[in-house]
Order: sequence, then structure tokens, then C-alpha cells
Amino acid sequence: MNSAAARAPARTPLEVQQRLRERCQAAVAAALGAGADEAEAYASQRDSREVALEKGDIQLARTQASAGLGLRVLVGGRLGFASTNQLESGSFGALARDAVALARQGPQDPHNRLPAGAQLAPRDALVDGQLWDLPIERCVELARTLLARARAIDARLSIDSGAVEASSHSVAVASSAGTLASESDSGLSASVFGMAVDGSDVGGFDHRGDWSRLAEGFEAQLERAVDLFGRTALGNLGARPARSYRGPVLLRPEALLSMLLGPLLGGLSALAVQRGRSPLAGKLGQAVAGPNVTLHDDPSDRELAGAGAFDREGVATARRTLVSAGRLETFLYNGYAAAVEGRRSTGHASGGTRSVPDIGLHALVMEPGEGGDEAELLGRLGQGLLVGRFSGTVDPASGDFSGVAKSARWVSGGRIQHASGETLLQGNAFEALRSILCLSSHSERLSGSLRLPWALVDGISVTAG
Amino acid sequence: MPTERPDPLSVLEAALAGCETDFVELRYHRKRSRAVAVEKGRLDTAQSSEHTGVGVRVLEQGTYGFASTPELEAGAVRSAIERARAAARASAAARRQRLSPLPPAPLVRGRFEGEGVAEAEGRDIGQVIDLALRLEARARAASSRIESASCRYAELLEEKAILTSDGARVHSQVVRPEFRVGAVAREAGELQRASRAVGVSGGWDCLFRRASPEQLAEEAARLAVERLAAGYPEGGRATVLLAPSLVGLLTHEAIGHTVEADFVTAGSVAAGKLGQRVASELITLCDSGHSEFAPGAGGSLAVDDEGVATERTVVIERGVLKSYLHSRESAARFGVRPTGNARAWEYQDEPLIRMRNTYIEPGQQSLEELIDGIEDGYLLDGAANGQADANGEFMFGTQQAYRIHRGRRGPLLRGVNLSGRAFEVLSSVDGVGSEFVWDLGSGHCGKGQPMKVDAGGPWLRCQVLLGGRQ
Repeated sequence: MNSAAARAPARTPLEVQQRLRERCQAAVAAALGAGADEAEAYASQRDSREVALEKGDIQLARTQASAGLGLRVLVGGRLGFASTNQLESGSFGALARDAVALARQGPQDPHNRLPAGAQLAPRDALVDGQLWDLPIERCVELARTLLARARAIDARLSIDSGAVEASSHSVAVASSAGTLASESDSGLSASVFGMAVDGSDVGGFDHRGDWSRLAEGFEAQLERAVDLFGRTALGNLGARPARSYRGPVLLRPEALLSMLLGPLLGGLSALAVQRGRSPLAGKLGQAVAGPNVTLHDDPSDRELAGAGAFDREGVATARRTLVSAGRLETFLYNGYAAAVEGRRSTGHASGGTRSVPDIGLHALVMEPGEGGDEAELLGRLGQGLLVGRFSGTVDPASGDFSGVAKSARWVSGGRIQHASGETLLQGNAFEALRSILCLSSHSERLSGSLRLPWALVDGISVTAG
Repeated sequence: MPTERPDPLSVLEAALAGCETDFVELRYHRKRSRAVAVEKGRLDTAQSSEHTGVGVRVLEQGTYGFASTPELEAGAVRSAIERARAAARASAAARRQRLSPLPPAPLVRGRFEGEGVAEAEGRDIGQVIDLALRLEARARAASSRIESASCRYAELLEEKAILTSDGARVHSQVVRPEFRVGAVAREAGELQRASRAVGVSGGWDCLFRRASPEQLAEEAARLAVERLAAGYPEGGRATVLLAPSLVGLLTHEAIGHTVEADFVTAGSVAAGKLGQRVASELITLCDSGHSEFAPGAGGSLAVDDEGVATERTVVIERGVLKSYLHSRESAARFGVRPTGNARAWEYQDEPLIRMRNTYIEPGQQSLEELIDGIEDGYLLDGAANGQADANGEFMFGTQQAYRIHRGRRGPLLRGVNLSGRAFEVLSSVDGVGSEFVWDLGSGHCGKGQPMKVDAGGPWLRCQVLLGGRQ
């Protein structure tokens, strides 16, 4: 088929899913016909309307439709994978031959097998009808609102870039093991990236954004994000070095995630454990963090972007507690890692159409504590550093981290004194997770995809320039 | 995958014929990637992917519209042109400052094929799988303390055809292979990790020109084991000797991003500093589409995605800021010629101002002379990640550090992150080595879209802030 005009585009979520299911089944059939013993196809289609911002103005408007399909084949326990974005180009014969040829050149692995299939009816429970086909004119209106809001805050704010995007997304998976599942969702997002400039004083960057599954009420979310951007960027002006010390720092949720949680979350992968690179190996049921740390993965939370009924392999997902009061509760498994241990997948196969399934979380939620709000936490810190973001390196094996405190503030007498620049942080994430003095009483949603509280953490080395 | 394709330029010309709008840019982009990954004796992936399509950017009513199609077919491209025009019209009224028509630029007409393309087209993936399995096993066998090892090979083969309504007509092909070996060492319950990675534009002779795959595997394993016993540097301001890989990160993160013209317009620390002294007189810093001083730089390209010939852009000459990096639009705003820095990651992406190969020119001193000049400081090597801020404050990570005391190198310390203000750090440079290395060709630069770039330079002695222990 050559002409886009000759093809009537599928429009409703269920129509799109039906087409993706058919394409997946066609790819699996092609693979089996090409000599595969087992095959799995995963397909996605994403339609978006986007207005990109640059230099404080609208830069470009874009309408996009993209699709892809990834085909995993097994030949005598050997693995091959091929992907394409040409979903309408016939029978997938060439794609299947590519994948099978790759598999025939690799080594055998007895754990290469597809997870037992589930048949799930098409789902559109995550779709907002208003968003599915939101016209680009509405994105333009929201972009105007964003820019006007930023201009009204302070003339010193400079928006380097940003975007407003409405998207609709559908995925399907089918396999020779009997899996057949599909789902659609939709979302609306806005982001702003920039800084404040006051004469020769250029403040550090700030980046804010928000996401919603619902068109209704998004304008208010967008305005709150712009207000926070403005407050933070303006607060970054006049930065001076902090003081060097070793002791407590107060982390906003963004800093908590990038500085402390990475090694713990990476170590939850059963594959990392099996391969000897997880520092959590052998610690199931043991304390891996302080008693105030409880983490869940909750794909049933509709307010989080990672919500969904099944994973990359079509295995049903469910809410799971990962760490309970500091104690490690579970590792995460996809089909391969589960086969290595002769157990069932936990529904944590991750990834898209362009690679074989990996292991990942869907929607991370960390329970808040009893440390109060921002003012109370600043009071508990007394004197020290408040860290907005962390820009640095975190070693997933050792947990060692080292990097720069961004959007940081020097706190004295329980009150913010000034912005802090050229300030480096150093420590170990696992030690720090055992040294959390308290968590805020509320949590914040980050970019729509996870919920985290603020954290007051002891024992961090702060080096001021 | 399709084995017979129509000539993309002919299809684009057919689509463009009769199109009546201010400006149209059509970019066919075929991207074929192949990857092999092995960890602890298991083949995790052997994969091939091909993603192909045409990106359409129009300038209409003083603003840009963008759309794309996966089909290389004139009717589909014409349909995408109309969608892009509609998008531009929908947003034009909301744009405060309308764009003027793009001024004439030195647009390219021609065909270009990079080194190694034919070799990559014919490469047997079975040989790559065998190599990855062998090297991962070699790294794992290097020491009883090696717990796990991994090896990944990735190869990106790109074909582009660019046609603009004002005269560009380009066909190009380039291949960018990269290779990475990692090792994890364990002792007394502690894990330490190290890796070695290389990436180039070109063939395998270029990829492994400085070290064989076997050497890379052994070095990664040795470093992981050595790190088990390494201590931590002290935090604070220090004189440091930066290895070429870190000089590459410095030029890319600390300077390169701040001189991208879109960022300059938004108010970066480089704004308004053209003609001013921003670095030591020892510093000449360039960004180039070509591979000066050594072959195979990973960000090499003959023509950018607006059809402009890439050039060697001198950003800082003997300490004085001379130029920003430009697209056609930003060059028109600044009243200069475009520098060939507009690049897009896939056919669905619009061109943004991106670096190519960014470097500091080599000087005169040997490594020994540079070390001799340090009373108390550190030698830093092994690039990790890096980021820069609008105010010129940068940070980047190092894999290893060595204390230098009275001109003598001490034992290995764990890598740390370092920070500073870009122009202040470059102004503190008092020694530039004579050896030149490209060393940032693996991985990607992120700016909304990923991008293959490279960076490098000589050994460099300067002052920075180290994030060690208090």
C-alpha cells in the first residue's frame, strides 16, 4: 500500500487498537512462517498535536502520527529482534526474516521463552474523549496562556523553550503463547524551561511541567506550574556560595529522586540481581532504607502517566509494595528473569517497540511522612542547604553520588537566606536512605509520572565554591 | 524490510512540484540501527531496526509548521506538506514576532558518503555477536573479583535526502558505530563499576584505532577492581589536570551549549560577549562538522539538516569569543552566515541548533611537563555524564582521580564530580598539552532530541571546584 490517502485512518480508540492487534497477529504469523518457534509482536500508535515554544514565543506547531512494531522471535532458544515503523507495508515478511536470521546467529539460552499469554479485551478506560482528538487550536490557546502567565510574573523571566502537547496513544501485544491485549490512553502536557536574567546576573535554569489525563481543569495546572517556574527561576538570581559542611540537607522531590532513589530502584530488577550488579542481592526481607521509607508501584493510579492494565509482554499489572518501612519486599521480574528462577513474571516488562523487553517500574509512589510542610521542614533543618534539583553522577552499583546542587537555597534560622551557586554534594545513596530524618506530610506529583515527598537527610558532604 | 527503494530525492522533487508556500524543507531520513548486548554470558539482544520517513517543515504566515509521514511517496509527502501548512496557520496569529523569509544561504547540492558505510552495509552480525560474547567473557575472567561484565555494540546507519524550496538538494550517508565494555567488581559486599567506551563516524579500523576491543575489556575490568580499594578526594577548589575526554566534556557542556544561538537569545551567559576575552590566551575552541587533528570524530557530517555545508566554526580564538553556533533562522537574526549546526534526530523531529565535534586546539606541552607544574592537585580522567546551566555553571563526572603532589602522581581515588563557571575555568588555564584525542563519540547529547556529537582536545591544566568528602 503506497498512498496515505487510500487508507481510511482508524479514529476511535477501539478502532486503533483493533488495527494494532491485527498488525501484531500478522507479524507473529509472518515470524512463525519464517521459521520462528515462538514470536511476540508489540505495536504502538501515537498521535499528537504540539506547540513548541522558544525564546518566549511560539516557534513551531506540529501534528504528528507515528507508529512502530517490534518483533521478538525465538528459534531453538535463540533470540532475535527487529522493529519497523512501516506498519502498512504488507505482511511483515522481510521484518520476520530479519529477526529469524538474527536469532539463528546467536547462542542458545534455555530461559528464552515467552511468558504464558493472557487475553485481555480492548480497553479505553484511560482515554478522555475530549483529549483524543483535541484540535491544535486548543494547544495554541494553552500555549498563549502559558506565555502570558510567565510574562505577567516578572519581566526578568526568560523562557528558553517549552511545549504544550495533546497526545493519544494505543498499544497492542500478541504472541504465539496466546497473549492478546491492547489499551489506549490520552494525555495533555505542558512544560517550560528557562531562567531569570537581571542585567549581568543570569540565574540557573529551572524546568517545570505538568501532565493530565483530563482536558478539564488543565489550565489551572498549567498556571500553577508556570508560577512555580517563575518563583524558582527568580529565586535563583543573586546566587552566592553556601558554606562547606557535612550534615543534613533538605531535598525537594526532584532532588530526592535523582540523588537517592536511583540505585535502590535500579537494584530492584531481578535481572540486575541475577547478573551480580544489584547491591540489593540477598537482601529480600532485610532493611535497605530507614523505617520511614515505604515505596509502592501503582499502575492502577489513573492520575499517574504510567497507569496501565498490562506490561510490555502483555502480563497483567497490579499495585505492589516494593519497600515497606525500609524493608525490601520484592524484586521486579519480566518473562526472562522469571524463567531464570522458574517463577512467574511480576508484570514489570518495560520498553517500547524498538527493543526487547527490559524491567522497569510503572508508577512509583513514596509514602509521605510526618515532617510537616515546607516551612516546618525548613525549621527542622535550621541551618544548611535546601536542594531543588541534583545535577550529577550516581553510581548504581555502589550508590556513591557526586554532583551540583541546583535551584539551591542557603537556610539559616529556619528561613531561606539566599540562592546558592557552585555548591557540590557528595555521599552514598544507600547510607543516605538510612539517614532520612523526616519526610514531608504531603507528596508531590512529578511530571505526572510519580509521587514523592520532600526529605530531610543527614550525613551529606556539602562543598561550597 | 524493503530492499528496493525509490530515489528519495526524486520523490521529494515530485512532492514539491507546484507547492505554493513561502518556504518548504523536505527531509527524507532512513535510520537503520543494529545492536548486540551481552551480560554475564547471556545474549540480551541481537536486534535490527529501521525507521524511515519524511519530515516536512514549512514557513508560512511568519511561523513554522511541521508534519511528517512514514511513507516515501509523493502523495503522502504532499499531504504532510498540507498538514504542516495548516499547523503553521493555526498558530500564526498567536506568535508575537513573525519570522521574516529566510535570507539566501550557501545551500548545498550534491551527494556525500561517509567512511565505513559500505563496510557497515556488509557487516555480518554473527561476527559482532561472537566478538561481544568473547570480550564480555574476557572482562569477567580478568579477576576473581569481577562479579559481572557486559558488552554492547551499536551501529547507526543514516541516509538522508534534503530538498528545500530555495535550492538545497542533498543526499548523504553516514555510519556511526560504538562499542562499550563494562565490569562490576565485588569485595566484602561492596560493588564498584567501570566501563570503557568508544564511538566514531566511520569504520571499525577507526573505532578501534586507539585501543583494541581486548584492551578495552581488560581496562574496564582492571579499573573496576582498582576502585574497590580507592579512597575519596577532598572537596574544594583545586588545580587539576584534565584528560582529553574531560576536556571534551568541558568544551561541550560548559561552553558549547552556552554559545548555541537559540540559547544565547534566551539570555545565556555568552550573550553580549562577542569580541570579549572569555578565556586564557592559550585557548582556541572550535565546533566543526569535520574531524580535525584525528580521524573519525563521532559528530561528523558534511551538510546539516537545513542543507547548509558544515564548517569549522571558531568559537573562541586565543581567548576571545568570536562566534555563536547558528541555524539559518538564528543566523538571519544575528546578521551572520549560518554555521551548519541545524540537526534533527529522526524524520519526525525538526532541526535544532546542535553541536557537532567540539574541541580545544592542542598546545605545546607534554603530559610530563604539565604534571611537573603541579605542586598539589589532581589528575582527572574518564568522562561520565555532564550538564551545563544558563549561567555558565557546569558539572561533569569523572571515573577516576589521582592526587598529584610535587609533580608526582599518587594512587587511584574514586571519581568525583567537578564544577565551575565556564569562562572562569577557561580563564584559569595555564597549560595545554600537545596530544589531541576525540573521546566523546559514544552516547548521546540531549536537548529535547538526542544527538550524536563528539568532543575532545589535549590535556589541560586549570582550576575547578571538586565535590569530594568533607
